[in-house]
This record gives sequence, C-alpha cells and structure tokens, in this order.
Amino acid sequence: MIKHLHKPAPITKKYFTPGVILISLIALNGLVFLLGRFIFGIGAVTNLNDQYPWGIWIGLDVGAGGALAAGGFTTAALGHIMHRDKYETIIRPALLTAMLGYTFVAVGVFTDIGRWYNIWHPLIMWNGNSALFEVGICVMFYLTVLYIEFLPIVTERFMGKVNLPGILSRLNKPIDRLLHTLDRGLDRTMFIFIIAGVVLSCLHQSSLGTLMVVSGPKMHPLWQTPVLPLLFLLSAIAVGFPMVIMESLTASHSFGLKPEKEVLTSLSKFVAPLLSIYLLGKISDMFIRKTFVYLYEFNTISILFGIEVIIGVIIPLRMFLSKAVRESTTGLYIASMLVIFGVLMNRFNNFVTAYNPPYALEPYVPSIGEISVTLGFVAIEILLYRLFVKIFPVISLPVEKVNFKTKYAIRRNSK
Amino acid sequence: MAQNRRDFLKTLATIGVSTGAISAVTPQVAKAGPTNILSDNRMGVLVDATVCIGCRKCEWACQGAHDKVQQDFIEYENNDVFKKARRPDTNNLTVVNKYDSELLGSETIKLQCMHCDHPACVSACIVGALSKEENGSVIWDTDKCIGCRYCMVACPFQVPALEYYKALDPKIVKCDFCFERTKEGNLPACVEICPVEALTYGKREDLLIEAKKRIKNHSEKYFNYIYGEHEVGGTAWLYLSDKELAGEVFPKLGNDPAPGVSESIQHGLFAYFVPPVALYALLGGIMWLSKDKDKSEEKL
Amino acid sequence: MKIMIKFLLLVSLWSVGIFAQINNLRTHAPMKLDCKKCHLCDTPTKAEPCLVMCPRNKIEPVRHSVEEAPVDIVINEVDSEKDLYTPVNFSHKLHAKMSLMSGGCAICHHYNPPGKIVKCSTCHEKNRERENLSIPDLKAAYHRQCMACHTSWEEKSECRSCHELNDNIKISNTILPKLEKSHAKIKIPDKIVYQTDSDKGELVTYFHRDHTKLFDLKCMDCHKQENCENCHNQKPDFSKPQPDDLHDKCSDCHDTEGKCYVCHSNVEKKPFNHPTKTGFNLSNFHSNISCITCHKTKNRFTGLKKECKNCHKDNEGYFNHSITGIMLDETHKDLDCEDCHVKNNYMKRPTCSDCHEEDISFPKNIPGEKVRKNHD
Repeated sequence: MIKHLHKPAPITKKYFTPGVILISLIALNGLVFLLGRFIFGIGAVTNLNDQYPWGIWIGLDVGAGGALAAGGFTTAALGHIMHRDKYETIIRPALLTAMLGYTFVAVGVFTDIGRWYNIWHPLIMWNGNSALFEVGICVMFYLTVLYIEFLPIVTERFMGKVNLPGILSRLNKPIDRLLHTLDRGLDRTMFIFIIAGVVLSCLHQSSLGTLMVVSGPKMHPLWQTPVLPLLFLLSAIAVGFPMVIMESLTASHSFGLKPEKEVLTSLSKFVAPLLSIYLLGKISDMFIRKTFVYLYEFNTISILFGIEVIIGVIIPLRMFLSKAVRESTTGLYIASMLVIFGVLMNRFNNFVTAYNPPYALEPYVPSIGEISVTLGFVAIEILLYRLFVKIFPVISLPVEKVNFKTKYAIRRNSK
Repeated sequence: MAQNRRDFLKTLATIGVSTGAISAVTPQVAKAGPTNILSDNRMGVLVDATVCIGCRKCEWACQGAHDKVQQDFIEYENNDVFKKARRPDTNNLTVVNKYDSELLGSETIKLQCMHCDHPACVSACIVGALSKEENGSVIWDTDKCIGCRYCMVACPFQVPALEYYKALDPKIVKCDFCFERTKEGNLPACVEICPVEALTYGKREDLLIEAKKRIKNHSEKYFNYIYGEHEVGGTAWLYLSDKELAGEVFPKLGNDPAPGVSESIQHGLFAYFVPPVALYALLGGIMWLSKDKDKSEEKL
Repeated sequence: MKIMIKFLLLVSLWSVGIFAQINNLRTHAPMKLDCKKCHLCDTPTKAEPCLVMCPRNKIEPVRHSVEEAPVDIVINEVDSEKDLYTPVNFSHKLHAKMSLMSGGCAICHHYNPPGKIVKCSTCHEKNRERENLSIPDLKAAYHRQCMACHTSWEEKSECRSCHELNDNIKISNTILPKLEKSHAKIKIPDKIVYQTDSDKGELVTYFHRDHTKLFDLKCMDCHKQENCENCHNQKPDFSKPQPDDLHDKCSDCHDTEGKCYVCHSNVEKKPFNHPTKTGFNLSNFHSNISCITCHKTKNRFTGLKKECKNCHKDNEGYFNHSITGIMLDETHKDLDCEDCHVKNNYMKRPTCSDCHEEDISFPKNIPGEKVRKNHD
C-alpha cells in the first residue's frame, strides 16, 4: 500500500487577500440584514407571506446547505467505514465543511423560524409524525456528532501546546490533561460516532425530502412524489464527492498548493455511478407517475426543471464518465461545480419553484434581504473555513517524514 | 491506545442493546405527539353559500371574539373589498369573498380554517403545538410554537397565517372554531351573528344529513356536492353551493387524509427504529469487515 | 255485555275523533281542497298532522286580501341583534301590495293554514342552538325573506337599508351617508329578439318599448309572476332563455293561432312604421302618444282618415284649431284650411299675404289668441 507523503497541518498563508475582503463585505452586508430581521421581524426583511411561508432561507440555507454538506458523511463512509485509506487526506476538509455547513443549517433555521428563542423545543416536545421534527432532531444530533468528530483535530492541535498567558497559565496543566483524556476517550469510541454520523445523515437527508410531501397538490407534480426522500438522499450522496473535489481544488488554488489530483481523480470515479443512480431514480419516478406531460408546457417551471436535470445532472454525468475530464483539474472543477449547481437547483426547485399555492395573492420572489442573508452566511462559512484551516491541521501538506497515523478509525492492534 | 476486535464487538453489542431498548419503548415514542382525537360527536358548521348575503358580519364578530382590530361597524357594508379575492390572515381569521355564479349571478363564500378530521398541520407541527380536539376544533398552543411555519406549508387550504412583522412573539394565527366560546356553551361568533343562518352549527354527522336533505329537497338550487364531506378525509366545515366549489373557491383535493403519504413515509423510515438500527448494524459490519481486510493487507 | 261495552267505548272514542275532525273540517271545507295537498297521511290527527315538508309553499295558500294587511309592523323579536340595531319598521302593506306582482302574500307567508295568519315565530325558533336544523331560526327566517329580494336587485347587503344602528355602536364618522331606499330603475329594452325553434320563422322580434309606450300595455299585463329583480335589476340580461308560454302573453292582442308571420320571421323584423304602412305621418305631434289615443277601439286600427278633423274636431264638426296652441278668431275660423296652409302643407308656415298686406306675417301676427297646447 502506498503511503501518502502528506500530513494535515495548519496553513501558514496570510488570511486577508482582496478576495477575502470582498467576501467579508458580502458577509457584513448579510449581517446587516440579519440584524434587521431580528429587530423588525421576518416580514421586514423577507418577501415571505401567508401563502409562501418558506423561501430561500429554507430552500437554500437549510435544504441545499444540508445537501452540500453531505461530503462529510460520504467521505467518512468511504474513508473510515470502508477503510479506503488513500482518501484520508480529504476527510478532514470534508469534515470541516460538513461541520460548518451544518452549523449554518442550524443558524439558517434559527434565523428563519419566527420564535427563534424556542428552537430547543423539539428536544422535549416530540411529534413523531412530523418530518420536520425528524429533520430537526437528526440535525441536532448530527451537529453534535460532527463537533465530536472534529474534537480530535482540536486535541491534536493543542495537546502539549497549551500555553495560556498570565494567571490563566495555572490552568495549562489541567487543560492539557483534559485534552489527553479526551483524545484517549475519543480514540476508542470514535467509530460509534462515525457510524452514527452516517446513519443520522441518511435519515435527515431523506427526511428533508419528506418535508415537502405533506404540502400535497400545492407542490408541482414534477417534483411532488412519494419517493422525494429517496431522491433527496441519492442526490445528497451524489453531491458529496463533487463538493469535496470542488473544495479541495478551490483551497489548493487559494493557498497556492499543488492540487491533490491523484486522490481527487480516483474519488471522481465514484461520482458517475452515484449520479446515474440518482438520475435513474428521478427519471423512472417521472415515467412511473407520467409527469413528463408537464414538460410539454413550456413555462418557467418546466425550464427550471430542464436546467436542473440537464445542466445539473446529465451533463456532469457525461463529464465524469470521461477519463479525460476526470484527469484534468479544470474538467473536474467544472463537472463538480455542475453537480453542485444541479443539487442546489434541485433544492431551490423543490422548496421554492415547485411550491405553488393555488390561492396566492402575489407570487414569491426572494427579497434583497433574503438574498443578502443567504449570501452572507455562505461568505461567513468561507471565512470561517479559511480561519479554521489556518488554526487547525485540516488540509494535508506534503511532509518529508512518513509518520502517518490514522485518526479516529478503528485502530489496528499493531505497533 | 488501540482497540482490539473484542472491544469493538463489545461496544457494538452495547449499542445494539441500547438501541434495542430504545426501539422497545418506541410504541410510546412514536405516539408521542399532539392530541388528535376524532370523536364521533365532533362538531361542525354547514355553510350554505346559496343563502349567504355577503354582509361580512361574521368577519366583524370574529375579530371581536379574538381581540383583533375591528374596522368601523359600517365599513363592513362596503362591497368594494369584493373586488379582490382575499385570504384569511392574522387580523381576519375569516374572510368573505365574492365569486361568479351561473345560477345566482354572484355568490359570496366565507373562508376560514376547515378544521380537518385528519389535519395536516397537526401532523406536520414539529413540536406538536397543534391539536385536534374532541369537539372537532383544530387549535394550537402558542407557548410551544417555534414559528417554523411548517403548518402553513402543510395546510391544503392555505389557512394558517403568521405575524411576520413582529420581531418578538410572532404568533401563528387561524380560526380556532371559537374554542373558548364553545367550551362555555356559546356558539362560534360567526355562527351566532349570521343574519341569514348561512352557517349552521351542529354535530358533523347531523349536518351531513341536513345537507343531503337540502340537496334532495331543492335539487334546483344546489350543486349536488357537499364540499368537505370527503376532502382530505373530511373537514368539520361543510359547504353547500349552487356550483362546484373545487377549483375556483377551494382546491381540488383527493379523499385521502392530507398528511397520509408523509406520515406513512415517516413511519416507514422509523418503523420501531428498525431501519436506522439496521443501517447502523450494517455499517458497523462493513466497518468491521473492511478493518479486517485492511489489517491483512497491511500484514502483506 | 262485554262486547256491548267495548262497542260503546269504541264508538265514543271514534266520535271524539270525528268531532275533532269535524271541527277542522268546518274551516277546511270551504276551501274545497284535496287533503293530500297539505297532509301526507290518510288520517291526520291534531297530534300528528303529518304536514308536507317545510317550506310549505306547496300548500294551497289561504287567500287574504291586501287591504286586510296591517300598515306597518315593528319587528322586535330578534334578541341577539338588539345591541347592534334598533327594531325594524317594516312597511307591511306596501310590501303586500308589491307582492301582488309576484306570488302574493304567500311569498312570505308560506304556511297558511286556515284561520288566523300564523306568526313567523310559531315555527321558527328564536334560539339558534336547537334540535331541528332544517327550519331556519327566527332571525334567519326574517332575513332570508327580506334579503332574497333586497340583495337580488341591487346586489348590496347594506344592513342600514332596513336597520338603524343602535346608539352603543361607535363609529368614527357620525354622519352616515343616506342610503337610497328606492328600487333600482327599470331598464326597458327597446327590443328583444327571441330565438325560437318554430318552423314558421326562428326569430321573433319583440319591440318592448313600443308595446309599453305606444301600445299602452301595463307591465303587469305580461309580467304576472315575476321576481322583483327581474325588472329592478342593475344589470338586466335580456338574452335570457324564454319560457314556453310566450304565446299566451301575446294572444290577448295577437292571433297566435293563425297569423304566425306577424311575429315569426327568419330575419329580425323592423319596428312598425306608421307613415309607410298607413300613409299617415305621425310627425312630431303623434310619435309619442299611445295608439289607443286615436285608435279607440281595441284591436281595430283601420277606419281612421288622414284628416286632422277626424280626431280633432270642435262642437260644430270643424277642425279644432286650438289644439295647435292658437285659437282662431271669428274671421279666420270660417276660412278654408287651404286659404292659409298652402296645398294643405301644415309643416310650413301659414301664408298671410294672399289676403293681407306685406307687413302682416306669422308668427309676428297671430290669427286669434294663444292658448295652451293640448295634445289630448
């Protein structure tokens, strides 16, 4: 087995670049509108109304956000559960994205719900019939699991390096001991959380799909189907690896590192089969329910459906099938972006485009406030990612000495 | 700190036992949820649209009964509001709209929560704040509500509304079938004030008999259909009209309960926690097996 | 003996029943009705009269004269409205008279057993929460009766048309706009073209305005059982499908048996043109008067001569010139018409110059004195 000459380490490049400053401005703009939402209410910032209760905050921040963070559990399943060790290097970035992604799913929910101070209610007030309840509970648990999964990275970074200034220096020793205990404990039990993470992901990714089923005929038949949960799960699994590829390429470009092309190319081999399963599911559902008749009606809805399926699934599927594309950085990047766009579009269509209450007084178009907040959250996520990779050993850098230790996998007896 | 295979099996077994224990208590957990009673004696209202004169006194009385902002009493006689179709909102729990009618020229029809027998909102509510009560009303507990608006997404009749412009304590609002009034033996405010008794309050089953009688005795006056008798599994509010209401006034809905599909998916995925536990076990198995393979590979 | 007692008992019971029936029969008998019109069973009793279903408008109404009707009634029975509105003053007699256009008293008094007129509250309960949901409660009964007409012709439901607001109702604008209580104006169509399936000609052109304005028909001559809104309608629809009995309505004047062509045609007919049909130009003076003013005998339109004095003659048999607004003086009275009205053209000004100097002319000088024009 080939050992990689890579080891995760904090990035040392400087934080602010012109691009980062631009992203910071977008983040700031989002925060301004976010403040407006909490001071003046949802109505003041959004175009939501009694007929359109959910907009892009649920469709993109929660729906798409959750799907695009799926890289975390798919790579965990591949790297840890199936023990494909060569993907070790991408697990940590994927985990960080998932952690940040889900944190912002939670933040998105917190922003969107009217009575945000009651967000903890689902923990003690249960309604087993509600798909949203399941999403809520699973996301809460999964978020906890993600934080636990990330903890070893924290302990690794600070073990033996705790050096608090001033009076706090007295705490250095106990903290260090705590970190050691944590590390040991997590080492032993981590596989529980890894499996739990995958299970929880499968559950809530599908339940996100169940969410809209209850809206019945208010949802356009092109999307409304009882197999929505399956389609959501399949698409989330399919978008996991492209998301990891896209991030890895973006990060290496941004930090001036050499792209981990070999790993990404071999990872990209999984994409085409996963995408085709998703496409098969979607197309066969369409034919079983005979919803293709709605495609003959040439309108916004059918166009958006076409964009979602053709640009977002079929074209990238063809690209991932081609060896040339898989071995080219640009090809990989574009193909991955298309898959991401496809899933983003799918979530947007499911939650926004497809939702057409017959007695709406006016159509829903996302407001500047909603768009600002959504973009703002994405920007903050990017900024936090950059910050985290500077602080914690997330991205693998080439090292000379081969001393690679598999973290939080089931340990071997050897050594 | 390495973990050997026995440890692994032990831990896996522990998880298996604990999840098994969880699944043992699931019957209760799965039922953990809101009150959802379908009483044989549930009440309802029969709305006879052929009688309604569009005086909008129901709107006035409803606002009075629910501490909403009332307009000038005589403002309700202003027919200009009929120019636009309105929807129930946070201040108008019920609205009267005017629709064209072949037989009568025009027809005014009151809209409000239908109080479904199998309410989608009750099924959907994340915290079980909504409930179907024994007297047929679908009400909610604002203290539980988190304002997620999933009930609004779920409602097939587009009824619940949210106070979008309140930063603190925005409430979900809809017709509550005058739960407080009926508890004290009063009629719902709209039923009480209706000058022509276009609204008849009574036991739902009696109202159905009455509605059928009216259709039979005056077949020339009524469209032979009771809207709400079967829609989404039946609603407490039933409508008689001279024309087909499904389409222009109310959505065309099937006879299956609105939350049916969603609930069966939900219960299918969580049938006594078997699917999640099975998935967990499967993944555990795969992890264990591939670990073995890894080790053997390593030894080579 | 036992049998005897039983028999007597039976007879006495029976006679009681008979007596009860006779009591009713006394009031019922003069009506000469079929019992089944009101009673569903063969032997109705007082306890179980088994009357036909409500509303009992199929029950043969007992006719009451409008003149018996009370003039005004104060409706003060609906308690639940008392804090909103003052009692309604109902102009009963006025409405009773109006009802004659339609179904008469029975359109409101839909249950008329013999004897005194039944009060609404006899059947319609005051309480809205009640057992029998088939019969509307009293408040609804009143409103349904009134609003059935009041909404239909004006498409409004303003409560203040009948009710006055109670003092405790606070409104920001204390001066309320006065409500127009009168009926919507009747819009009479000039003509209606009926589409029939007759082989004598599919189209029947009915000149409604001519019939009412010129032919002197009263509304009720044709509109016998109409709802108010059929005529008092804001948006009248004259293209409504027609009932089959149109012939009956026309046959009073028209021969609907033989002369189909008078009404039926395959093309839309032109209105009756007096000058071309008869040669007599109605001109300004006669175009707006009803036919019967000149054609005095009903249905006889021939026999009138063109000469004015045919109708307008004075006691001596001459043309009554005063009708034109000028009573001729003695001198001019004896002249022939043609002496002033050259070639009998009465449209032109009269010529004076044949007898008089040039400084005398009409209308500067008048051959008599001006009087009020009299068209009759």
